[in-house]
Amino acid sequence: MELAIEVEGLVKSFGRVRALDGLDLSVRTGEVHGFLGPNGAGKSTTIRTLLGLLRADSGRTVLLGGDPWREAVDLHRRLAYVPGDVSLWPGLTGGEVIDLLGRLRGGLDRARRAELLERFELDPRKKARTYSKGNRQKVALVAAFASDAELLILDEPTSGLDPLMEAVFQQCVAEEKERGRTVLLSSHILSEVEALCDRVTIIRRGSTVETGPLSQLRGLARSRVTAELASPPNGLTRMPDLHGVKVDGNRISFEVDRTRLDAALAELIRVGVRDLTCAPPSLEDLFLRHYESAKAER
Amino acid sequence: MNGTWTLTKLVLKRERLVVPLWLLLLVALAAGQVQRYATGIPDMAAFAREMAANRALTAFAGEVHSATLAGMAVWKNADAIYTILGLIMILTVVRHSRGEEESGRAELAGAGVVGRLAPLTAALSVTCGSAVLAGLLTAAAMTAVGADAAGSLAFGAAITAAGLVFAGMGAVAAQLTQTARTAIGVAALGLGVSYVLRFLADGSGVTALKWLSPQGWSHLVRPYGDDNVAVLLLSLAFTAAALALAYRLLVRRDLGHGLIPERSGPAASDRLTSPLSLAWRLQKGLLGGWIAGYAIAGLVLGALATSIEEVARQGAAVEEFFRRYTASPEATMTDAYLWLIVLSLGYVSALYPLLALLRLRNEETSGRAELLLSAPVSRVRWVAGHLLFALAGSILVLAAAGLTMGLAAGAPGKVLAGALVQVPATWVLAGIGVLAFGLLPRAAVAISWAAFLFVNLFGEMLGPILGIDYWIAKYAVPYPNLPMVVSGEPFTATAVLSMTGLAAALTVTGLAAVRRRALI
Ligand SMILES: Nc1ncnc2c1ncn2[C@@H]1O[C@H](COP(=O)(O)OP(=O)(O)OP(=O)(O)O)[C@@H](O)[C@H]1O
Ligand SMILES: [Mg+2]
Repeated sequence: MELAIEVEGLVKSFGRVRALDGLDLSVRTGEVHGFLGPNGAGKSTTIRTLLGLLRADSGRTVLLGGDPWREAVDLHRRLAYVPGDVSLWPGLTGGEVIDLLGRLRGGLDRARRAELLERFELDPRKKARTYSKGNRQKVALVAAFASDAELLILDEPTSGLDPLMEAVFQQCVAEEKERGRTVLLSSHILSEVEALCDRVTIIRRGSTVETGPLSQLRGLARSRVTAELASPPNGLTRMPDLHGVKVDGNRISFEVDRTRLDAALAELIRVGVRDLTCAPPSLEDLFLRHYESAKAER
Repeated sequence: MNGTWTLTKLVLKRERLVVPLWLLLLVALAAGQVQRYATGIPDMAAFAREMAANRALTAFAGEVHSATLAGMAVWKNADAIYTILGLIMILTVVRHSRGEEESGRAELAGAGVVGRLAPLTAALSVTCGSAVLAGLLTAAAMTAVGADAAGSLAFGAAITAAGLVFAGMGAVAAQLTQTARTAIGVAALGLGVSYVLRFLADGSGVTALKWLSPQGWSHLVRPYGDDNVAVLLLSLAFTAAALALAYRLLVRRDLGHGLIPERSGPAASDRLTSPLSLAWRLQKGLLGGWIAGYAIAGLVLGALATSIEEVARQGAAVEEFFRRYTASPEATMTDAYLWLIVLSLGYVSALYPLLALLRLRNEETSGRAELLLSAPVSRVRWVAGHLLFALAGSILVLAAAGLTMGLAAGAPGKVLAGALVQVPATWVLAGIGVLAFGLLPRAAVAISWAAFLFVNLFGEMLGPILGIDYWIAKYAVPYPNLPMVVSGEPFTATAVLSMTGLAAALTVTGLAAVRRRALI
């Protein structure tokens, strides 16, 4: 399996703040890789290191087979980047910025450019200073999608897009994947990650806490069980494997590791089950679990 | 007006280092000059007579109104104080009003409990408050070094008035344009016009022209002469009108916008193909403004040369004047005047490359550099685009002034050569700008302005006050080392080549640092 991005034990400090603390990330060629983590976890810092804008203190970073700091210019011919907070030259129009970035990256596909402008409903004649945040993001997205870069690095690219445009964005990423491109997508939007990503990496406080295909991550997560019982579930609440237990009369709801599901259901059946839902673990549950423990540690 | 006090405190906090520094500078320029003359000038009456007869110097400093110690000290430095204060007022007002709006921080404030007039009001209270403070402190310092109290108060009032006028001008400019940079440009143009009018008035002897210039109004107070503070009613009326206009414009326009509505532009571009073409788009306004400004200044100041009267080379002060600005016994007063003007244009031109290079820092902090450098563009290629404008632009700016001034003065070749001789010295400042951007990017703005002020004030003003001889200043500032090709010195390449070399070394070191550092 070829890797487009290989990061091992990446460390980066800003003064006394250790923004990255031994981070690992590997992105396979041709996949859409989700990059998740709470605010300040170090996603943007990782990406800026990959772009050779920051220099790592230690660790191994390989981007498209090269060193992102020393071979920045050559590597940048093969990638396109959309920053989280896009700021454009106020006096240039959106169309001019798209063309500038396209030319610098070695030319862009005219037909695709026109098609993307249409799909994103972007007026390229407006001066950048009059664009809203979402429209600035669209400018950078059109420039990236219309390029023929083999790797797209997108840092929270949809934080300013409305739901309609979010859907267009998801289609575009899906098309990029079809065409064999690799995408690193940092995002806080779970539905987007669920819809697009083959594998995800979750980081917290500068280091990787989980990485793998979504299906496997879900396997690690817990299921949420909600049951209507024959009588109040008094004894059940003390079972050690249950988390986040809520009781309301005869109703009980809790989270349980999938491997402990048998035992928990047996207990419920012992009391008598009138109604039962067992929700598949969602990415959101997984997310919240990691994010909340991050908060607790702060 | 809600939230004005909160915002005022914020502005005060952000200015807490800068305001005391320039207050100190202005007070030192005033009171320090008294102490310098107290020991340096044995015969004040003779000195005053020689200075009053020297048109070239009265053009720069103004008329002599009082042959007293304090009167001559004020004569020497007052115009510089009014002008520097005016520049500071413009920068401060625009930074905290339009600058905040441009960065979007004002939107955050505006969405809170803050009224729409609050940001401008906060910016103005701090700037105008510091102008009042500048006046009071100077008056107190002048009295403390033994000057007459009434004259000192009049002088303080003249300083405050000059500050208020330009704060008002800055406030209006901030409403007209969409970016802080253009607003500063517009207001600085007002300051420049006002400066040139006052200069012309005193240089040509048509003193009525002074009534058209805000700096002129402060000059007309004639501190330690007749203390005619009533003139300042003009300054106050101008300020009041400017502020009223600024607030009217503010309530009529939308947050983040100027008065001139934004037009649409091209949907595509074939011309923006490289970092260099982008740099041209970003730099051409600044360069065009400087070339136009310098061409006009050259024309006006050159025309004045024909009316400069000759003086006999007698008296210590006159001899020192000729020693500084001419290099041959045959050089005339007009030659000295012309060299003094091209030299001054050289000193001020140092600001152009510094401002052009600060664009880089602006690109970096705004995140636009990040976007550009994520494309296959090396750091050096990015910086080089802007550097080219800083360096070649310096030549164009000085050549523009040299051409018009030479034609107006009737000595085209000589004056153009004199203007172009300034280029390597200005490049040294450009080199300092690149070095600061490379090594200490967060301090680059402060370093650039400090370097500009230092170079402009050290030799003629600050150095003498600190007890450093003018001729020692040669070792700290490039310009006094240039061959005085306009006033009798044959061209020698030594100074020019060594400055070019120094500039190149600074630039290369700065570029190397930019390559090695993180983008922050
Ligand atoms: N230039 C800088 N100087 C100092 N600290 C920095 C700098 N850039 C980032 N940091 C710190 O590094 C940490 C990681 O920041 P980063 O921007 O990478 O987070 P993030 O995961 O992208 O967060 P978000 O989801 O909010 O975008 C934060 O604590 C941040 O304050
Ligand atoms: Mg981020």
